[in-house]
Amino acid sequence: MPSENPLDRQAFDYLARAAGLNTDDPHMDELFSYVQNAVGANEGLRKIDTTGFEPDSAFDPSHFYQD
Amino acid sequence: MDALELCYMSAGELSSLIRDRQVSPVEVIDAHLYRIDATEPTLNSFITLLPDHAREAARRAEAQIQAGNYRGPLHGVPVGLKDLFNTAGVRTTSGSRILDNFVPTEDCTVASRFQQAGAILLGKLNMHQFAYGPTGENFDYGHMHNPWNPELVTGGSSGGSGSAAAAGQCTITMGSDTGGSVRIPSALCGIVGLKPTYGLVSRAGLTPLSWCLDHPGPMVRTVEDAALTMNVIAGFDPNDQATTTREVPDYTAALSGSVQGLRIGVVKEYFEAPLDPEVESVVRAALAQLSEMGAIITEVSFPMFFDSQAISGTILMSEAAAYHRDLLATDGDKFTPSVRLRLEAGLFVTAADYLKAQQARARFNYEMSQLFGDVDLLAGPSEPITAPPILASEVTIGDQSVGTTGALTQYTRPYNISGTPAISVPCGFSAEGMPIGLQLAGRPFDEATVLRAAHAYEQNTEWRLKRPPI
Repeated sequence: MPSENPLDRQAFDYLARAAGLNTDDPHMDELFSYVQNAVGANEGLRKIDTTGFEPDSAFDPSHFYQD
Repeated sequence: MDALELCYMSAGELSSLIRDRQVSPVEVIDAHLYRIDATEPTLNSFITLLPDHAREAARRAEAQIQAGNYRGPLHGVPVGLKDLFNTAGVRTTSGSRILDNFVPTEDCTVASRFQQAGAILLGKLNMHQFAYGPTGENFDYGHMHNPWNPELVTGGSSGGSGSAAAAGQCTITMGSDTGGSVRIPSALCGIVGLKPTYGLVSRAGLTPLSWCLDHPGPMVRTVEDAALTMNVIAGFDPNDQATTTREVPDYTAALSGSVQGLRIGVVKEYFEAPLDPEVESVVRAALAQLSEMGAIITEVSFPMFFDSQAISGTILMSEAAAYHRDLLATDGDKFTPSVRLRLEAGLFVTAADYLKAQQARARFNYEMSQLFGDVDLLAGPSEPITAPPILASEVTIGDQSVGTTGALTQYTRPYNISGTPAISVPCGFSAEGMPIGLQLAGRPFDEATVLRAAHAYEQNTEWRLKRPPI
């Protein structure tokens, strides 16, 4: 688990309950491990320089191509 | 006419014969049902087959044509739809037993347009559960099998569409592409797959995976058939807020052009990612052939290619989890475990990261638009590998071991982020006889150039004439 990743098991269980998941389900250990890796992978996303770009919330693929 | 020949005819070839009454739609449908009967135990392309419906529709089409009411090039042509396209009165499972008994009351827009064009629905095609996986494995309805080697995957998620078109079970199939799900099985099964521009083909009535990444598209055996299909399915739909109001051209008109003077950029970063040397060799030979045909091939750089996975993965995970959240709460244990994991993991992506991914997408699209200032098309491999074995979670590329999902989506995801058109066209075979695809991508709504280049290349090769051994 990357050191920047704050998602310990307690936080995971809290978020899982908040998301409506059953934390007593036997597959939660596997999900915890999967989520740790997935959240860790977001570090690459956070490093992308997005200065000057707003989120494409109303996506239009021709946005940058208009005359 | 020989039944197998009918099954391997393109829609373009079939339509002439049907129009001129040299072949009846009934004959065409019977040939395909016979072909399906012979190959389906091996391939498992279909979740629901509709023989009675198809024969009845064929008799109706025959009567209409005999009465002089020929509707156009898809009249009487057999079509198969991935089983997430809603079809009125026909169950639509999205590849999950959870929806085994779901029977829509309305057709999706694509199915409705096929019906208006006189195409005949043969059945609903197998797929990765809820379209959330690129291999074509399905634990509820059975795995899909590659017609070139049934021990290998078809690719997914539109795996049944890939195998059905490649093996002559259907003339036209439809898939949906969120991270490559049209182009991956097209490349691995040796057919043509077009992911159109986002907003050109309606998503209305399709089970979503990710609203802003989903693209329905044709999977066929020839580029001409992709154009013929686009002529029927493309265009504004009031039921899909993303669809464009711009006029849809006749895509077949673009097919007569050459690639003389066409500027094709080869993204150098594609060849820095894990890539099977045999695939690289075949793709570079295809690019050399395009150059010999008059295209101007140049190397271009797109460093944000390496951010594709992080951007599209974050958006996809969030949107897929949002869509399936209620079903996860009520029927979580009925999902395939790997699909359930991916969906539930999406519930842990923060809103800040989702928006960061959408910001990064804006920069990604800006930088791609700059590339398209210098070139007309971008080119590269559709896939870094040929079809791997069924249930292989990792593949070896050169001296690296990489995850199968990441490998299969590495070249396709960028164009889901950009929403720009991209096609996979067959460009050769491995020594083991497995198909390899060339990917060509264009500017938004410039399907005409993408199809023109793919068609010119296709017509200068004989790959389209090869048939799988099944």
